[in-house]
Amino acid sequence: MSALGSTSSTSYGKTITVAVLLFILLTFSFTDLRYQTWLRLYEFFLWLETTPFGVIGKTWGAVFAVVEAIHLLAMALLGGAVIVGDARLLGWLFIDVPAREILDKAHKVFVVGLTVVLITGIFMACGVAGKIYWLPVFWYKMLALATGIFFVFFIRRPLLRHPLEEIHPRVTKLIAISSMLLWFTVAATGRWIGFAGS
Amino acid sequence: MIEVEGSTESIKDLQYAAVTISATIIIFFVVYWIIQIDSVRELLELAYG
Repeated sequence: MSALGSTSSTSYGKTITVAVLLFILLTFSFTDLRYQTWLRLYEFFLWLETTPFGVIGKTWGAVFAVVEAIHLLAMALLGGAVIVGDARLLGWLFIDVPAREILDKAHKVFVVGLTVVLITGIFMACGVAGKIYWLPVFWYKMLALATGIFFVFFIRRPLLRHPLEEIHPRVTKLIAISSMLLWFTVAATGRWIGFAGS
Repeated sequence: MIEVEGSTESIKDLQYAAVTISATIIIFFVVYWIIQIDSVRELLELAYG
């Protein structure tokens, strides 16, 4: 009885967490808090350029270029995993292969791609920290990336661990579409950084 | 029985959370890219008339 009561009381934990996070994000975005936080981060970004990653990235252009190439290849890996998994959910690709098999394998590739993207991305950010700090597109990319990581590991993956036939088909399609749009934004804003402010 | 009910609750919770965050992502995507495309269009107009 108590176990059932406990289950009921925590049954909408994730929905409430998402709603609270959205409220905090909107409050942060539309108040002075965002500007104050941005100002406070300036010293941190200046420090990033003095770290070994920052010094290497600024001093040896060839190293930066090689890391950037690995970053882009990892982004392609991540994007491929997203497209394959989401297209299967939408019934666009590989419909003769069980969705569970594709989703599990695509997730493993996604995790590898994301890990490499994050490591190389931190290295590159240190090298150009003084530039990206001033670019709004960089902050939008960080927002999209953080949302993407949260979305995948907190919502999408836990939901898709359930049998797909138990999930409403419209919900499945909705998460597939939003996942593709989100990672498209991460990739597009990332490329935009390369062309902005130089 | 409790486990089945817990699982059903869990999947309902996850579906509500997924719908909430997906709707937010789609709205943000549409608004953000409309603003960006419009901004580029204005810049091109300024540059080339």
